[in-house]
Amino acid sequence: MTSTALLANIRWEVIRLIRSRRVFLLSIPLVAGPAGSAIAFLYFHVQYEATAMLLGLIVTGGLSTLVMLDLTALTVGEELSRRAHFTFFTLPQERWAMLAGRIVVALGASIAVFALGAGLVSVLASALVPATGGTITINSAHMVEGIAVMLVFLGAVTLTASIITRSASEALVAGILSAVVTVAVAGYFLLQGTLTMLFPAVLGAAAVAAFVWSFVSYSALES
Amino acid sequence: MRGVTKRYGTLAALSDVTFSIEQGEAVGYLGPNGSGKTTTLKLFSGLTRPDGGEVRVAGHDIRSARKMALSKIGVLVETPGILPYVSGMDLLNHVAEVKGVPLNERPSAVNGAASSLGVKDQLGRPLGSLSTGLLRRILLAAAMVGDPAILLLDEPTLGLDPAARADLRVTLRGLHEKGTTIFLTTHLIEDVEEVCGRVLFLRDGRIAGDEAVSPVGSHEGTGRAIIVKTVDPVDLAAATGLIGNTATAERRSERELVIRFPGGDAAQSDILRSLVTGGVRVVGVAPLGPDLAARYMTTVGREEAV
Repeated sequence: MTSTALLANIRWEVIRLIRSRRVFLLSIPLVAGPAGSAIAFLYFHVQYEATAMLLGLIVTGGLSTLVMLDLTALTVGEELSRRAHFTFFTLPQERWAMLAGRIVVALGASIAVFALGAGLVSVLASALVPATGGTITINSAHMVEGIAVMLVFLGAVTLTASIITRSASEALVAGILSAVVTVAVAGYFLLQGTLTMLFPAVLGAAAVAAFVWSFVSYSALES
Repeated sequence: MRGVTKRYGTLAALSDVTFSIEQGEAVGYLGPNGSGKTTTLKLFSGLTRPDGGEVRVAGHDIRSARKMALSKIGVLVETPGILPYVSGMDLLNHVAEVKGVPLNERPSAVNGAASSLGVKDQLGRPLGSLSTGLLRRILLAAAMVGDPAILLLDEPTLGLDPAARADLRVTLRGLHEKGTTIFLTTHLIEDVEEVCGRVLFLRDGRIAGDEAVSPVGSHEGTGRAIIVKTVDPVDLAAATGLIGNTATAERRSERELVIRFPGGDAAQSDILRSLVTGGVRVVGVAPLGPDLAARYMTTVGREEAV
């Protein structure tokens, strides 16, 4: 029964994405990410493939982040701000299944299109910037993992904010601010030469805590 | 609901409210704005929790067995929001899926609920493009998907035109006759008169009255009471002689009689024929309502009486 509710809510979120046409946002990291990266490779005459990969991942990761923030903020915040949850909260389903179904789609789709976009960037970097060598600041595989963890962390922050504020727009602002702070802190550590895997690990732990809080709070939410 | 108290800050929305509804009953819940009607419905549907007391739905505690309790009910909250871009079909299908209606039965469950409210043809439209009345009927259809044993309805006729309101009352009466338990909060006394067999009056978060509602036109549940309007001034003695021994007549106004009699349509037809053949020029007949409005005014007070 719980798995039924989970699947029903996954389907519901997919329907929402399609009907609201927000599904088209998912094409941005897939198309604009690699295309914008390719233009940047050529325009800046990027010399090394590793540098091109980092540039492409920053572009694609940034776009994926914006799309993810929007989808995540709306997936819960929109229902709460419109009071549409009155209809869904009175259905015989566990609220955690309801929330999980929604967030899996919003966050999962965003991470999936980032991964696909990163793959395309890799192909384009190899094709357009064939030279290897140069100084590798960050391993591109580590950067992909780091951005994926950052997406999960920012998704958790945005979800938490949407439950607290019951507003998609305020949750989106909270998510954007968190993204700016996260990137700034990561950049600081990078410049200091102290950026290690500890940073994404801390983000991951914070995301888990935020998700736990969100699920508990959502389950106890009163009208 | 037993000894239920609900507070919003310092404001007591409900104070030690106790009542029960039997299976198959249709109960109206009347009270002015802010008296606690919607809070009561939210408590029954798990949208809010009581500060004290116990709320049970079909024997299941709404806090400890929330999902079981919700599986028995269909709910229409007064002003639920909508996602304007999804269609009625999307919504009803989702509700049917969550309620566990098997895949092969979903089309008939969805279409059946929509057809009973006359909105089957509107299911494909985005909810945001619908009028208030159509939207309300689609949300009501969503509550009715899966034939829940209990319907909790908050102002179900709000925003409906008179024809749609009458249709909805007929639909609710039909559901009640089929055994669905109905709990109806409303400002409209006609809703209660035409749908419910019992009414609870709520005042300042407390139950102020709990009474049976006689069907419109009935008299003490065993017969009818009708108002007969005449062209000429009423001759009470002559009219009493015409209507037979089992019926009683009293003057309501110069040209109106109230006639009470046992029986139904056949007896009413006989009485009217006797009056007409006896020379009484009848121009109209109306059922004598149970005068719930007067009871509301007495029990609850002037505010919000409709």
